Amino acid sequence: MAGESQTSDHNQRRWHHIKKLLERSGPFCHPDFEPSPDILDFIMNSCKVLVVGAGGLGCELLKDLALMGFKKIHVIDLDTIELSNLNRQFLFRKNDIGLSKAKCAVDFVNKRVPGCEAVAHHCAIQDFDEGFYRQFHIVVCGLDSIVARRWLNGMLMSLLQYNDDGSLDQSSIIPLVDGGTEGFKGNARVILPGLSACIECTLDLYPPQKTYPLCTVANTPRLPEHCVEYVKVIQWAKENPWGNSVQLDGDDPHHLAWVLERAQERANKHGITGVTYRLTQGVLKNIIPAVASTNAAIAAVCATEVFKLATSSCANMNNYMIMNMADGVYTYTFNAEKRSDCLACSNVTRVMEIEPEATLQAIYNKLCDDQDYMMKSPGITTIINGRNKTLYMASVKSIEERTRDNLKKKVTELGLYNGADILVADITTPNTLTIKLKFSELEDIEMTH
Amino acid sequence: MASPSPKSPEQSEKNKQYDRQLRLWGDHGQTALENGHICLINATALGTETLKSIVLPGVGAITIVDDSTVTDEDIGSNFFLECSSVGINRGSEALRLILELNSAVQGHSVQESTDQILLENPDFFKAFSVVIATALGEKTIQELSQHLWDINVPFILCRSVGFLGSFRIQLKEHAVVESHPDNEQPDLRLDMPFPALKSFLDNFDLDVVELKDHGHIPWIVIIYKAIEKWRLKNNNQWPMSTKEKNEIREIIRDFIRKDENGIPINEENFAETLRAVNTALVPTFLPVKIQKLIYNSAAINLTNESSPFWIMCSALRNFVETEGKGKLPVCGALPDMTASTDHYIQLQNIYRNQAAIDAEAIYRKVQQITAQLHCETISETEVKLFCRHAHNLYLIKGSCIAQEYRLESSVASYIARYLEEPNVMMVHYILLRAAERFLSEHCRAPGDWEPEGDISKLKSCVSKLLSDISCSPFPKDDHVHEMCRYGGAEIHSVSAFMGGCIAHEAIKIVTKQYIPVNNTFIHDSASTNSAVFTF
Amino acid sequence: MIKLFSLKQKKDEEGSSRPGGTQKKASAAQLRITKDLNELNLPKTCGTEFPDPDDLLNFKLIICPDEGFYRGGRFVFSFKVGPNYPHEPPKVKCETAVYHPNIDLEGNVCLNILREDWKPVLTVNSIVYGLQYLFLEPNPEDPLNKEAADELQSNRRLFEQHVQRAMRGGYVGSSYFERCLK
Repeated sequence: MAGESQTSDHNQRRWHHIKKLLERSGPFCHPDFEPSPDILDFIMNSCKVLVVGAGGLGCELLKDLALMGFKKIHVIDLDTIELSNLNRQFLFRKNDIGLSKAKCAVDFVNKRVPGCEAVAHHCAIQDFDEGFYRQFHIVVCGLDSIVARRWLNGMLMSLLQYNDDGSLDQSSIIPLVDGGTEGFKGNARVILPGLSACIECTLDLYPPQKTYPLCTVANTPRLPEHCVEYVKVIQWAKENPWGNSVQLDGDDPHHLAWVLERAQERANKHGITGVTYRLTQGVLKNIIPAVASTNAAIAAVCATEVFKLATSSCANMNNYMIMNMADGVYTYTFNAEKRSDCLACSNVTRVMEIEPEATLQAIYNKLCDDQDYMMKSPGITTIINGRNKTLYMASVKSIEERTRDNLKKKVTELGLYNGADILVADITTPNTLTIKLKFSELEDIEMTH
Repeated sequence: MASPSPKSPEQSEKNKQYDRQLRLWGDHGQTALENGHICLINATALGTETLKSIVLPGVGAITIVDDSTVTDEDIGSNFFLECSSVGINRGSEALRLILELNSAVQGHSVQESTDQILLENPDFFKAFSVVIATALGEKTIQELSQHLWDINVPFILCRSVGFLGSFRIQLKEHAVVESHPDNEQPDLRLDMPFPALKSFLDNFDLDVVELKDHGHIPWIVIIYKAIEKWRLKNNNQWPMSTKEKNEIREIIRDFIRKDENGIPINEENFAETLRAVNTALVPTFLPVKIQKLIYNSAAINLTNESSPFWIMCSALRNFVETEGKGKLPVCGALPDMTASTDHYIQLQNIYRNQAAIDAEAIYRKVQQITAQLHCETISETEVKLFCRHAHNLYLIKGSCIAQEYRLESSVASYIARYLEEPNVMMVHYILLRAAERFLSEHCRAPGDWEPEGDISKLKSCVSKLLSDISCSPFPKDDHVHEMCRYGGAEIHSVSAFMGGCIAHEAIKIVTKQYIPVNNTFIHDSASTNSAVFTF
Repeated sequence: MIKLFSLKQKKDEEGSSRPGGTQKKASAAQLRITKDLNELNLPKTCGTEFPDPDDLLNFKLIICPDEGFYRGGRFVFSFKVGPNYPHEPPKVKCETAVYHPNIDLEGNVCLNILREDWKPVLTVNSIVYGLQYLFLEPNPEDPLNKEAADELQSNRRLFEQHVQRAMRGGYVGSSYFERCLK
């Protein structure tokens, strides 16, 4: 058999399309772009991409990236496959219902695209620590949860390293490409942590969850949604149909049937029409409509941006694209602005030098008196062994009483160490500050005396 | 009133599978999709990505026409081919792998060239709801588009080259009843209340309402009372100007109850009323685009070939001219507003009943027309839906691609106008056309082997096109260089994006819901920019 | 433009850690609630209780009105601040059974900023003031306990008597109320 050389020929031809973009220069390329076969080698053999979510967007992303040459792809998803996923999550079949989305998706793509070495993680994003996330060059996310996006955003911000002169160490930046869809609408964006607008900067672009006034729900319902909400918020807790400890579960068909029946009773009583199975389920589970085509388009935009980031073959979008496919097909790209008071990306860690023997009171005094801080009544907390710890807070009486003794303690007695972060909130700053403690060396102190 | 609630409301398997999309186009949209048959010409990555998003939601059937065999390059960009597919017919391999996505979809593969089918069996295309084609030559594009135009089959022509993608929809005539506008103007008739509404509003006395109910008076009532009060002092005129609207706002503020210290009590319904002043004072009128529709010759000169849409338009015209007194039927939807349950439900029923009465009148007219024409009857459900959406009917009158390709004078001046702007997306259009011309002249994509040598040849294709539309040559060659750099490469993510969009448009055409692109969409993934042109 | 390809040919392998880089970072919700609480400016009728002073996400608010129908009572509210704070409001429940037009017997509270009118610029302080206001000015127009609301409107004296009875501990209609006088 002519074995290897033939396989290599096949491979050369397989990536023929992409190689044209990577091995040829063009008038619109970034000036720093140098066409070379090494770029394909980089995306195939070095570049590690994390895909967060293996649902509507995640399945598409995984396929798109595998066919753009990426091999070292990791996928995280906590969910298992449901029947209602199959209208768009095209890597799954009816036989797969109940299995891990991440595993099924990875198995399928690795089989279909030879050479692809995708790895599945059937768990929550919070199950991994910084060490895990730091291994990736790019993170791309297709999630429907704002909480998860914010968590991931915070994680990537915490991986940023700063040089001694306070400038950002660019090699610590892990770009985040984020996509989202709702029905016929979607958005895609590129976030360079520390450099461009992050998830937290633009939190108000996410529509608030649909809620109904409780008094309307309780007393003056007029929409079918009000009837379902009544059963969900008020009647369930009153009647506890499955016993006190059983929470309402929108996925349990018996629960759903119970809610539907009660909601219909309430609707009939008030002459309200339109309480159907579909509507009830939609309100209970806060279902967002989804269709294959929108997911395909948005995921593809994200994959293109990942490709641009990894190869520099073209400048990235700057930096937020919205898309509406309800009336024609409309896209609009704009520059979402980084907020100087952002909780996540403008929370640049400051360094405070203290003596290793210092007490918390010394830090407190420094925060109040030091020219750099001039705080009025700083509240100080930290995280030790993954747990939040309140060190001192004067504004809340009950906490003040129980943390007052901490002031006398040495920082080391409180579990703090050289390099530990403390969080300081004060009326004088728009946000809680992160301050890294740096122990001064004893000799230095002696020398200054 | 009380109806027995179903004891076992479990959905069918199919409803569960399609739940997330049924919330967008409804059960009737799904039925329409399941009756659709899509033909794909050429199973390129762009082609299969398009089919994927049509098969997943459950189209009735697909047919792939492709006479080429699978190459290694195909495998590299096309997810619906396997390594073992190399050397086998591309259409049949793609079909096999795409059908795995949804067992409810029927599939066929035809291993012939489009030219051959056009020559030997042109009626073949009559079976399809939409024909989608990729990677066709200039000549075939013109012949196929002309044929599909003649037999009135919707056609979508698609391209994916480098970072560029485009699609062109060819529809002779496409009527959309459910256009799903984002912001629907409420149809409240406060300026000309029908009897039931007038009696409800007139019998409502703001002054006798108890305080606790005062906060639950629907804003429709409040605004009506304010207008009535204003009209008494203003010769029964209708408030139109900004000044007059402000006077209405003042009257509304006067209605707000005050506490013992004379401070207005904050009531949500009054805040809603003040916000509604602008929209609620718009007089009821017949929108121009609907007027054009119902007086369109197709609605006037009916034959037994007329589509249900035009028959209903004709009935609608008759209604407008008689019972409707110049207005459309009441749409029957009441916007959500703060209100007591009783008042809201009463109002809702008043509007719904009037809508039902109007729709019934139109249905009778439709029945008369179909009887006279001896054509197929139209169901009451369909007429009701038509009446419900009569304010937002939408009609696309398309143009033929072959005509666009001939660059007739209207097309030429349209393009020239954009090039003068200058509009970079129209430059992309010219380059895509020029690359197609290059392919037909040189039997390869520009830059396929190496970019430099083809630059001057592609440039001459561009110049030829520009001279055909009497435009001066481009001052710079950068886009020509870029096109040669692409060398006809099909980039998967670009095809995946375009595939999603094209599938979406095909579904709109098949379900007759939502408004399709009219008629050309061009996307540049390099700049994340897109544009729509109407040739 | 950031040049990933040239910047990072090789990434750290999984699990590698940098000195001082292992401390868990505070979430945006945590940073924000710390700020909210540090700036908490309670009216004199209100107090907070933190069962665990290290857990700033779960706490109780105690309101002891010094005027109005509910003077002399002591009402406990539980606050649960979720990971999506301040995109979503905290979950607030009244743990003291109270005869009140806007609080039902399950402890649900009808206060607009706790649901439909919540905005991320609002703080824990805004909610505290909103709750305090509910005791000073019960709002019968948007009731959760309709019986109480109707009574407040039709017969203030009777309503006041019932509030007093409920606070002393006893039945109002068929509902029993635990004593909650200070």
